[in-house]
Amino acid sequence: MDVTRQKDLETPPPSPQAAHDPEPVSAAARAGHVASRYAVIGVWAAMIAVYAVAEPGLFLTEGTFQTVFGSQQSLVFLTMALLCTICVGEFVDLSVPATFGFSATILPVLVVDHGWGVWPATAVAVLGAIAVGVVNGLLVVVVGVNTIVATLGMSTFLGGISLWMSHLNTVSGLPTGFGRFALHPVAGLPVSFFYGVALVAGFAYVLAFTPLGRHIRFVGANREVSRLSGIHVNRIRLGSFVASGAMCGVGAIIAVAALGGYNPTTSDTLLLPTFASVFLGTAILQPGRFNPIGTFVGIYFLETGILGLQLLGLEAWVSSVFYGGVLIAAVTIATVLRRRST
Amino acid sequence: MNAVSQARPPDPARPWRLEVAGLSKTFGPTRALSDVHLQVAHGELHGLVGQNGCGKSTLVKILTGGYSPDPGASVTVDGLRLDLPIRPLQQRAAGVSVVHQNLGLVDDLTVWENVRLGHYRAGRLSRRINRRAEQQAAERVLARLGRPLEAGQKVGSLPAQDRAVVAIARAVQDHPPGSGLIIFDESTRALGRSARARFFQTVRSLVEEGTSVLLISHQLEEIVEVTDRVTVLRDGAVIEAGLSTREVNEASLTRMMLGRHLVTHSRRESHVQDQPVASVRDLVVAAVTGLDLEVRRGEVLGMTGLIGSGFVEVAEALTGARTARAGTLSVQGRDLALDRRRGSTKEFVRAGVAFVPERRLEAGVAGELTVSDNLTLPRVSRRGGRLRIGAAWQAEETAAMIAKLDIRPPDPYAPIHTLSGGNQQKVLLAKWLADAPHLLVLHEPTQAVDVGARHDIIEAIRAAARDGCAVVIASIDPTDLAVLCDRVLVFRDGQVTRELSGDPETDAIVRAVFDDDTRSQRRGQVD
Repeated sequence: MDVTRQKDLETPPPSPQAAHDPEPVSAAARAGHVASRYAVIGVWAAMIAVYAVAEPGLFLTEGTFQTVFGSQQSLVFLTMALLCTICVGEFVDLSVPATFGFSATILPVLVVDHGWGVWPATAVAVLGAIAVGVVNGLLVVVVGVNTIVATLGMSTFLGGISLWMSHLNTVSGLPTGFGRFALHPVAGLPVSFFYGVALVAGFAYVLAFTPLGRHIRFVGANREVSRLSGIHVNRIRLGSFVASGAMCGVGAIIAVAALGGYNPTTSDTLLLPTFASVFLGTAILQPGRFNPIGTFVGIYFLETGILGLQLLGLEAWVSSVFYGGVLIAAVTIATVLRRRST
Repeated sequence: MNAVSQARPPDPARPWRLEVAGLSKTFGPTRALSDVHLQVAHGELHGLVGQNGCGKSTLVKILTGGYSPDPGASVTVDGLRLDLPIRPLQQRAAGVSVVHQNLGLVDDLTVWENVRLGHYRAGRLSRRINRRAEQQAAERVLARLGRPLEAGQKVGSLPAQDRAVVAIARAVQDHPPGSGLIIFDESTRALGRSARARFFQTVRSLVEEGTSVLLISHQLEEIVEVTDRVTVLRDGAVIEAGLSTREVNEASLTRMMLGRHLVTHSRRESHVQDQPVASVRDLVVAAVTGLDLEVRRGEVLGMTGLIGSGFVEVAEALTGARTARAGTLSVQGRDLALDRRRGSTKEFVRAGVAFVPERRLEAGVAGELTVSDNLTLPRVSRRGGRLRIGAAWQAEETAAMIAKLDIRPPDPYAPIHTLSGGNQQKVLLAKWLADAPHLLVLHEPTQAVDVGARHDIIEAIRAAARDGCAVVIASIDPTDLAVLCDRVLVFRDGQVTRELSGDPETDAIVRAVFDDDTRSQRRGQVD
């Protein structure tokens, strides 16, 4: 664009800022932008380097690699489920881990305690999670109940139901063949890692390239603008709750297949990692915006950090400190980035 | 305007009650206020008017401590310079109080609790509020206002004029009679006509005692009737400072508020063709009962009136933005029920009806998303495949519209909120023009945009009409209507009371809107 010509055409007197040549400013801004996109990835690399030096021969091993990338499938599904509703502007669905636990309890209870076949039980487990999504959606979208309150109630309710179904115990004893569907090794990692990759890639594609994804982003950004542009806002909000339920259900099946059973008391421990990863994701690749790929990177960033600390000899409490600390840091960074951009 | 800064107080021995000088406020790239001067004398009722987006609310927020002004400003009360940003406690000590929009009352609390809110004195040891002393203090103030209300009753149960008295009582209790300044920020919006009369009676008696009042209002009628002098803001600058209200009427005030463009545009030839594009039958919405309307190809139809007269609701109803109580719209032979609840305006968009709403950032564009995303939104499902929107048509369409409307900066990927108001409005218009709609409905299309953008917007609307689009403009801006419209409908209390056709002129529109025999007689000539 020819700058001088632009100035000549400017009818109102240019403001002081506009009088400066815009080029160097935008170059600096662009550099800052790139830095903020990849800052977390840089920290991740630095963290790996520090651990490699601090724990020679222990950290930089294939075992560590497999632990980091082979153990977080549940979290991938949970974070994507949470993102579903966050993307359409719901803040925030607390029932995601409980829905996951609900589904993960139904499957082994039906198979082990009631003698069902694995696949019918799987179908019921997934449908159960979808039903939870439908109920959440109806409460929030149709009735208009506050999202946090409705899903907090749902979370506690489902937690109780799961404990009742399992008699407060770990339910295990699924047929070993079933596990292969999650654990079959591919390129040194369990196949379920690639399920997660496919989900994240699919989600990111939908958001970035499809009409549905564009509508989702507008509903998240401004409901009235969306409504007046011909988007069925409530349909999309309801759909996001249903999709969220479905992702919880499928994630639960994969987790149960890998573990051979499930202990519903563990569901609660998934809440913080889910939130920490999703919020950390807002500081990655698309600063200030919730995004699937950033979240995916966030998950493995957090796991790398925790595993390294554990290998250094720190105990299990480390994960709480790390997840909690990162959640606070991530939300702070995202808030600052957002404020700077507006 | 030079006279403004050199103005002296009417009584040289006494400084102005309130003097604002050199006040500017910048938000990012936009300048909301530039070098604003305002002077309110002792015992004066001073009006402050301006169109939406003129910087009026920014000025009020600075005067009440919500925003801090750019360096270099000064705010002086009775010769005492206040710290900036304004601290509410210091301001109160200087004798300035504020009555906020809709009076700022808590309906569930009693009269004395509302009056004394923020002034409660707690017992030294018990930290308890001394109920009886508070009640007496409230009653004293109310008696002073000539309205001895029962201090123990709930404010929610009071009639409107007494609610106003409670709000005034809260504002004046700190001032000894005859001192202080009260700022009324759109306080009378919720009051009916008779309550308003009572309200101004009370205000007037305070002013006669020597208290000063700054009245910020949208109701030009009341500004003209009750104030002594008026200051007019336009595009963030003072256009008229302390003009005596004896010299103005509603029509001339309207012109001052909007006048920037009086000379910039003239009427042009009409493009009206014979075929009707859209017709509305039996529309019932808000105050409007049973309206029939027909818009022809290439016609630009204006709708205007006072606030609450129903013209805005008609515009919203015929685009599906608002559900009407009854009515049908037929566009190019396609019928749409206007009284059906819908999840979105999709059917209207498909039928070729486009709507540019007034509240740009709430209802028009999504600020955090890009120019291109916003511009192409209504077409992503129609033009894109289910699995892919397709980048090529989006880039092409965005580039074409950026060029057509001269959107600055010409960057398709800039987030909308980084653009100026005028350019945001151009993107919003482009979003719908790119659809080549049959019926384009615009609500205040040039509100809060700069002169250059206004020119481009007007040209774009004319071009759409030339291409055969039927255009409906709902606006209170008579100059916009005059330069654009072939026909103007004037609404009053839900009825179309006048239809101006041929070549409606600004003055004729203003006269038709404010046409009220009793008032024009009382105020003498209405130019």
